Amino acid sequence: MSGPTRVPSGEETIEFTFDGTSYHARQGDTLAAALLANGIGLVGRSFKYHRPRGIMTAGIEEPNALVTVGTGGRAEPNTRATDVFVYPGMVAKSQNRWPSLSFDVASIFGLAAPALGAGFYYKTFFGPAKHWLRYEGFIRRAAGLGNAPTEPDPDNFSQSAGFCDVLVVGAGPAGLKAALDAAEAGKRVWLVEQDAVPGGSLLRDPDPAIDPGAMVERIEALGGKVFLRTTASGYWDHNFLTLSQRLVEPGAVPPHGFAQRLWHVRAGRVVLATGLIERPVPFANNDHPGVMLSQAVRSYVRRWGVVPGKRVVIATNNDDAYLTATALVEAGAEVVALLDARASGPAAPAGVTVYHDARPASVSGRKHALRKVTAVIGGSEQSFDADLIAVSGGFVPVSHLHMQAGGKLEWNVEAQAFIPGSNPQVCETVGSALAPPPAPAVAPAGKAKKSFVDFQNDVSLADIDLAWQEGYRSVEHLKRYTTLGMATDQGKTSNMVALSRLAEKQGVTVPEAGLTTFRPPFTPVTMGLLAGAGARNAGAHVRRIPLHALHEAHDPIWQPLGYWFRPRAYPVNGETLQQAALREARTVRTAAGLSDVSTLGKFEVSGPDAAKLLELVCATTVGKLAVGRGRYTFMCREDGFVNDDGTVWRLAENRYLLTSSTGGADRMAHFMSYVRNSLRPELKCSVVNVQEYYGGIALAGPKARGILAALTGAEPPRHMGYAPGMLAGVPVHVLAASYSGERAFEIHVEASHAAAVWQAIEAATRAEGGAPYGLEAMELLRIEKGHVVVGGEVDGRSTPQDLGLGGMLNKAGGFIGAAGLTRPALSDPNRNNLVGLVSLDGPIPEGGMLIQRAGQSPQGHVTAAARRIIEGGAIALALLQGGHHRHGEELIVTSPTRGEKARVRVTSPHFYDPAGERYRD
Amino acid sequence: MYQITCPHCGPRAQTEFTYERTTDSVVDPAGDAQTAMQALYTRANPMGLDDEIWRHTYGCRAWMVLTRHRVSHEIHAVKAIGPEALP
Amino acid sequence: MILPGNATVTDATSIIALPAAPLHALEIWSNPQDLATRVHKALGFALPPMNRSAGNAAITLLRYEPTVWLVEGDTSVLADTLGDDGALTAIGGGIVRFRIAGPGWRELLLEGGVFDTSPAALPVGATAATVIDHVGVRLFATSEDACIVYVPASYAQSLHHFWEEALPLLGA
Repeated sequence: MSGPTRVPSGEETIEFTFDGTSYHARQGDTLAAALLANGIGLVGRSFKYHRPRGIMTAGIEEPNALVTVGTGGRAEPNTRATDVFVYPGMVAKSQNRWPSLSFDVASIFGLAAPALGAGFYYKTFFGPAKHWLRYEGFIRRAAGLGNAPTEPDPDNFSQSAGFCDVLVVGAGPAGLKAALDAAEAGKRVWLVEQDAVPGGSLLRDPDPAIDPGAMVERIEALGGKVFLRTTASGYWDHNFLTLSQRLVEPGAVPPHGFAQRLWHVRAGRVVLATGLIERPVPFANNDHPGVMLSQAVRSYVRRWGVVPGKRVVIATNNDDAYLTATALVEAGAEVVALLDARASGPAAPAGVTVYHDARPASVSGRKHALRKVTAVIGGSEQSFDADLIAVSGGFVPVSHLHMQAGGKLEWNVEAQAFIPGSNPQVCETVGSALAPPPAPAVAPAGKAKKSFVDFQNDVSLADIDLAWQEGYRSVEHLKRYTTLGMATDQGKTSNMVALSRLAEKQGVTVPEAGLTTFRPPFTPVTMGLLAGAGARNAGAHVRRIPLHALHEAHDPIWQPLGYWFRPRAYPVNGETLQQAALREARTVRTAAGLSDVSTLGKFEVSGPDAAKLLELVCATTVGKLAVGRGRYTFMCREDGFVNDDGTVWRLAENRYLLTSSTGGADRMAHFMSYVRNSLRPELKCSVVNVQEYYGGIALAGPKARGILAALTGAEPPRHMGYAPGMLAGVPVHVLAASYSGERAFEIHVEASHAAAVWQAIEAATRAEGGAPYGLEAMELLRIEKGHVVVGGEVDGRSTPQDLGLGGMLNKAGGFIGAAGLTRPALSDPNRNNLVGLVSLDGPIPEGGMLIQRAGQSPQGHVTAAARRIIEGGAIALALLQGGHHRHGEELIVTSPTRGEKARVRVTSPHFYDPAGERYRD
Repeated sequence: MYQITCPHCGPRAQTEFTYERTTDSVVDPAGDAQTAMQALYTRANPMGLDDEIWRHTYGCRAWMVLTRHRVSHEIHAVKAIGPEALP
Repeated sequence: MILPGNATVTDATSIIALPAAPLHALEIWSNPQDLATRVHKALGFALPPMNRSAGNAAITLLRYEPTVWLVEGDTSVLADTLGDDGALTAIGGGIVRFRIAGPGWRELLLEGGVFDTSPAALPVGATAATVIDHVGVRLFATSEDACIVYVPASYAQSLHHFWEEALPLLGA
């Protein structure tokens, strides 16, 4: 009997499944430990060649043993078997294999490996496109890791802020000491550890003088916080770090609904006690199940009581692997040979034969189990019968966070390793990452083709050599050409091995060859964690208008508008959206309608300099407004283009109300503050954003005035007049403004009282044959009237003149944008001008291009299309080159994407009541 | 994410702030078109320290000038701007 | 030790939406020292400094901005002292007040947040404007056991839901 076995102590009480078969695990087992304990060596298939792969490490650096854990929406693909702890009922599956793990059809790609070498993907881009189409299907089936779940994740993900004086990353001996020291000094301490238990290297090499559990208790007793299963995954500016915490293991059902938590931590000082990762050794078939890192072997033996092999060869270039020999011997395994690449080494445990100047050249096996290790010892080859080879090619300090923070690295020749140096942030590295054991460079002894460097992306020494041969000199090019270090493990075990090879090819030292950039996250992060609570509702809170519940009772079609939701139409008797909108618009034209306009931007501007500020912000005159009057206005950017539009009302001597568009409300709030506080801090005025203070109701139609007069008991103000009033027992502002082209009013009321006012107006309006109308009807009404909309005709590239608003500009200037408007290019007669279009045949395609003849370049585009509300017939608003002077011209609107076309005549944009007679009583 | 020391609120997360523009791209509304366009389109954009206008938009809403290093992201100084205010 | 899966629901922490109240923005644009003296005389207490509160049974002033105070309560006395140096503007309809009470309120407000709610950074009586789950909010630590959060009305319902969902995380 060969292969991994478990030391018979402790109970295997936890049941889990792997590829459908049930197994048992001990409390505290990682999936990798449990699989090995159950004698399972083959765990996955490789990315490109589908080569059989086993467990290589005992930590987060694992490149091979990737599995999918969990089912349905909770399934987590590409989970490292070494970084997931077994829980009752856990379902784990191997990946990238068909039809089964032990017999995989695509592994014949391995036979085609010469054709799939470095740069294979790039090379497929050359040559005829139809060849690529054929390659693509093949590549997509063959290459890959696990599959993303197709169902939504049922769990929540939390994002929380954290603050501490000292953040310690890594609960090994150095981290525990740093955290305890800081806690004893009275600091607010956070200690984070990616493992489920504290101890780090102590779990593999216990030290009776250090008790991690007791140290954790002490830190917590001093008010410190210790987070297990928590990875410091990103180190950003100003000592800001992101920690990803697993509240439950992958695929498990969280008791409180939250699977993971993302901490946003601002730390006064950061201590990185992140330790070392062992380097693998390149030799032929070094990706075979049964090839394992030396420290990993020791971890399995000491921490989990699992002996990964009965007859073990150890291959090393450093002293640390001798400890593995001791651990194996203690556990009853036979160490058949210790291959030390150096000429001398420390004493080995009794019974272990040490070979110096000895390097592994190849391994072979049968049915995925290792059988033979061939080594080059001195100048000659020798083979050993073994079921496991424990390898150590030296150590790599974990400097990822240090580098993300902007730190420098120093080259340590003895250890052939980069060691964290200075750091521009308040951050230091402590512990073994600063002192990797000496480990000299060793020339690989095996054939380059099957000597794997990046196990997860199937990159061998030969691929690096090929990239070099084809002219890829820089390490960044090497990475992109071979995909080295680009897999989910981000080259944790492969980068240094590859870099040594590149340096050797270049004939330079390793630091001269350079390093690729370290970027967050340190280990993969679930997408849901980044989305947080925003994983639902497209990542944003829904903004509810004050009358949301009232509208809901009418069962409207809702329209998302930015973050807002507004009623789009109120269909009755099974109407479609279009039918409902047309009926609602006709009701406004013939009787009256009411609509919710609460989302409009609104600002109260008060103080002796209120008018001064408004004349700066608005491009029209404001100062001459009498109390109780209002006017249409628009605002420009500094470059002269229209930014927003609205109305401005003088409520009292020193108090104005400015309204602006819904979509631009936040932008306008920021702009108002910029002008008032940054540009003109000396002005004596107050600007308060009252967008949400007021609920707004538009009442429009020939019967609107009568309805309002009856409700308020007062004659409503004439068009563009303002009056305060009482409606339904509530004080309201009545603004006689019209967007629809009918005599109309906006009634603004404190939002908490808006429901009573709406209900009163709705009842009175319905009694007059009217009805509520939504955004779609509003659009029909405003297009027919020729009113522009911000985000439609006001597209950030249109000037007041383009929109036919030039006549309203404040002749005295002095407003923001006045200087910009004087640029000669802005008075070019061929600019896009706002025009109306009347169809000479069918409907006008929205967004269509305006051309004179087929095949011509477009001369403009349709911004909004509609139909005449009463008369029928298609109309549209458009921006057309030189449009102001082209009324009467016939053009074609074409929408190639929709395959629609219409002949149109250019007209004024004001289709309905251009003289404004309907505003008069 | 930066930590910005608001002159009114102390150290706060960058999330609460919005960047407006550099001080050399402020347009004087009373100025002529050429000066305005120069301010908007031909900024110094130094690879080093620059004076930037920021706003503590989701905090105290006040405006300030940050002297920030555009490579290291180090913030050397923060100066309040705005109307006269009580301490 | 914070172990996976050992969350305990802190039933004692509660979130309650308070009834609508008159709220005003008081903005001072000139002669701040003079006006502060007048206000002190009229109200019987000084205008609070940045990120602090002051008040009596009838009126509370919370300072979130250099030139603006959030005023809760009866503003009639205040209105008469302003003259041409400042103005009051009603804003209550646009704000929903939540009272978050119980031992977990500080921890709950870290959820989706960016502001340190520990007693050192937000002592009792202090105020702070910040962001919680992308929504601009204002905090007012009324006591060791409770905080009032002023939330834009449009976001109130979804933020309430956000907090309710996060409650089981307290102590997790």
